[in-house]
Amino acid sequence: MNRYRRVGTVYRKELVETLRDRRTLMAMVVVPIVLYPVLMVVLVEALKSEAGRQEKEQYFVCVPDAAHKDWLEGVFKREAAAREEEERAAKTAAEKVGRQADDASAAFRTRLGAEQITIQVVPEEHLWDQVSQNKYHAAVLLDPPPDPSDFADGRNRVVQILYNDTNPLSDVMYRQLNLVLGNEMERIIRARVRGVSGNEDLLTPLVASNVSTTSPDRQFAKALAMIVPFLLVTMTVTGAMYPAIDLTAGERERGTLETLAVSPVPVGQIVAGKFGVIVTIAMATTALNLASMTAVIHFSGMDKLFTASKPDAASVELGTEALIVTKGAEDGTGLSGLQRENLDRRRQIEAQAAKSVGFIASAAPIVLVSMIPFAVFFSAVMLAVCSFARTFKEAQNYMMPVMMAAIVPSMIVSYMPTIKLEGALLVIPVANVVVLMRELFLGNYTVSAISLCLGSTCFYAAAAVVVANKVYGNESVLFSDVGSYKTLLLRRFMRPQRLPSAALALLTVALLFPFYFYAQSGLMRPNAPDHNLVVIVLSQVLLFAVPVIFLTWYTKTDLAETFSIKVPSIWHALGALLLAVSITPVAFLLQRLQFQIFPASETIRVLQEQQAALFGEAPWWVLVLVFAVTPGICEEVLFRGFLLGGLRERMGVLKTVVTVGLVFGLFHYQLEKIPVVSFMGMVLTLVCLRSGCIFLSVIVHIANNGLAVASERFKAIEVFYDLPKDAAELGAMHFDLRTGMFLLVFVAGLILFVPKRLMPARNEPAKS
Amino acid sequence: MHEPIVEVHELTKLFPTTEGGDKRAVDGVSFTVSPGQIYGLLGPNGAGKTTTLRMLSGLLTPTSGYAKLSGFDVRLQREQAKRCLGYLTASTGLYQRLTPRELLRYFGELIDMDRAGIGRRIAELIEWLDMGTFADLRCGGLSTGQKQRTNIARALMGDPPILVMDEPTLGLDVLTNRVVLDFIRAEGARGKAIILSTHYLDEAEAMCDQYGLIHDGKLVGIGDLATLQAQSGKRRLSEIFLKLCGQSEHVLSGVPEARAEGAA
Repeated sequence: MNRYRRVGTVYRKELVETLRDRRTLMAMVVVPIVLYPVLMVVLVEALKSEAGRQEKEQYFVCVPDAAHKDWLEGVFKREAAAREEEERAAKTAAEKVGRQADDASAAFRTRLGAEQITIQVVPEEHLWDQVSQNKYHAAVLLDPPPDPSDFADGRNRVVQILYNDTNPLSDVMYRQLNLVLGNEMERIIRARVRGVSGNEDLLTPLVASNVSTTSPDRQFAKALAMIVPFLLVTMTVTGAMYPAIDLTAGERERGTLETLAVSPVPVGQIVAGKFGVIVTIAMATTALNLASMTAVIHFSGMDKLFTASKPDAASVELGTEALIVTKGAEDGTGLSGLQRENLDRRRQIEAQAAKSVGFIASAAPIVLVSMIPFAVFFSAVMLAVCSFARTFKEAQNYMMPVMMAAIVPSMIVSYMPTIKLEGALLVIPVANVVVLMRELFLGNYTVSAISLCLGSTCFYAAAAVVVANKVYGNESVLFSDVGSYKTLLLRRFMRPQRLPSAALALLTVALLFPFYFYAQSGLMRPNAPDHNLVVIVLSQVLLFAVPVIFLTWYTKTDLAETFSIKVPSIWHALGALLLAVSITPVAFLLQRLQFQIFPASETIRVLQEQQAALFGEAPWWVLVLVFAVTPGICEEVLFRGFLLGGLRERMGVLKTVVTVGLVFGLFHYQLEKIPVVSFMGMVLTLVCLRSGCIFLSVIVHIANNGLAVASERFKAIEVFYDLPKDAAELGAMHFDLRTGMFLLVFVAGLILFVPKRLMPARNEPAKS
Repeated sequence: MHEPIVEVHELTKLFPTTEGGDKRAVDGVSFTVSPGQIYGLLGPNGAGKTTTLRMLSGLLTPTSGYAKLSGFDVRLQREQAKRCLGYLTASTGLYQRLTPRELLRYFGELIDMDRAGIGRRIAELIEWLDMGTFADLRCGGLSTGQKQRTNIARALMGDPPILVMDEPTLGLDVLTNRVVLDFIRAEGARGKAIILSTHYLDEAEAMCDQYGLIHDGKLVGIGDLATLQAQSGKRRLSEIFLKLCGQSEHVLSGVPEARAEGAA
């Protein structure tokens, strides 16, 4: 088709031009391919050399007198001897169980050698100053002072280590002293126990053998999950920025936009082509970054470095095992069959991890795919924002807050490792995608969470594209001498209009969505029914009714036209009445039908119980007021008033009804409810659209909700309509004569609203 | 005489001003142009020439009135109308990172020309406008004259029956000026309807068949040179203009709060 061919033409040309732009190439190719690996390598080298430096550095410890000095030197000597002994034992044991011996030695390498530590005597009163002024790395003070008989006196002492937190070497020394003194204490205890009972095995009633079930590269993935989403978000946004500015404000500044505007191509197709290029560049940047990151991590050995810097799980286990084996041979204790199996399994996992391409390489494609909605969303936002700007500079100024809006949430989320992908977070733009990426890395996610996350992101992206389209084609943005964007935003420049624009209607609904979601999940308190009922009413009134009525006034839009305030025809009133009496059983019938095909998950029962807990035992009329009358009015004002008003003259009947119905369904975000609620939304939209009277859809809406709510309290209604009593009954199919009657009434009512010709809409579509 | 191909009826454009209220940039302008005619829309800076031409080309939506190109209403049948139109100003930019050949191909594709047709037309235009030496260099590096020739080629790509030219010679050197004027004459002779806006009255006098003298958004004189001479009792176009405006001291120096004509 011509339309697609022209979008393709714009896309190709813009892509060629963008790729010839040095700035885009810098952000897209040079940064990830050159600068980025260099940075990573420098970082890795710095870390490595830092670690090496700590090992080679000379450390100075001060003590108050010669007795302290002798004692501390003795401690270090005994420590060195003990380590050597342990290492030799591990090697022997490793040979016994038939494993490589050098694996075992790794565990003993992390300690500082005695030759690196110099112990010096300074006057007692200067200990503090010497350490705080960084002249010594630590000071050690014993009370009572050490006895030449090396603790054989049987007295207990307090050992105080002075160190300096801000000096990394002091910190290393502190940790070393802590470790060595701990081991010294163990030796003393052993000696005392031996002296008392002659058997030091009393001290090891439990030997720990800790086995992690996660492969080491999974552990690495956990660390990557903190940083990678943040990096990718930043890179994607940076990549999209220059094309977004160049294709909109840049084009306007260079005077080519006028030429393009005079060509016989609708603005929508031009915007679509440009949008495609921005998304392409954003995704290409992301892909290049991810590829480069993967390669750098893979080839730089950063993952190895990471696993090595963790307390070396495998080797420690081997050391323990060696000890157990040695001991087992001596006194019969040892690993049981299952424990040994677990250790073997751990060893297999490690061997596999060493051979595989690495987790990052296998996770990269999934992460890349999950970046697409984000790239689409941000490209659309940038396109919309840049469309307001007339010059490159102006656009760059506008971009700053947009960049911050992308980067700050992803940074915050990166630092909250325990935050889960659930509740309101699912629909918060940017944050949801960042958390989703992290969950994908870690492998924890549910299908409904992913779909809600991606679905809401696509929804926001669509709204942003609509706005971009609207702004881009606006003449006051096209020509600088026609007026500024103030004329778009300030009420006094607005001209009275009959209906809100489709862009405004969709954007409003999109912006309200996360707030409503938050009110419905975040503000509810268990066991506070009054509070919850008030939240429901307030969220309906303040989020649905008030904003759109205000917007209608602000944009000088005709209230009666927008909200379909009109006296209906007698036939339409009759139709609405028929629907009002029959819609509730039909809704339940459809729900049952749905559960026959897609069985209800356990969540629906849980949700119902939660619902009951949230709202308690309020009087029936309060429930009807809160769950039927308030939504019946407020939801109708938003969906059948403002949204339908924005769309109805720009689309055919079918498209309008389906769109408004689906958006209405999406607002009832429980996955199981969406199909039936969407259908209800379509029926209500049809009623309002065809009758031109919002009161009819309000009546049907109130009737539907009201009957469902009241039936829980009044047996008569439940029996009359034959409604399911509980979740179990809802899960079973049930159709009898009475249900058939209601269905017939419903269809009869519906027929009164079905247009003679399905297209076009009630009013002639406006040419604009 | 041919049927008019351009029909402008009572076009009016109000702009909101930052002080509140509206400014009447164009006020009830009507005229027609037939194939083969060169119509001169003349007036000082800020008179409303550019706004009129932008409404005529579908770039601005008129507050009231309509314009029809080849019978298509510019507002209601925007795409069909624009298809009949070649549009050229002194200020229109080119895509800096495309070559003239790529640029022409792009606009050819945008008006749905087929591949072979595009190739043929580009070859024709390159030869005719003598663009051979720079057709494959990036537009960013071209001289002003070369750029204007590329722009002319771009406007002619689809061989439209109507050409709208808004100050096409503004800021050009003598040589390029000559190329542009020759091209306008030649296209007129080939039967195109041409609307030329300029504030160089002498230039217009040498080119146009019909005139519309616009001042403060209103047409103050319409017709061929003889009609205008009879109406005003003056001989030269510049004298006629001063006479018809009745505001001799302001007119040619421009209205103080003039919008920058042609500056886009």
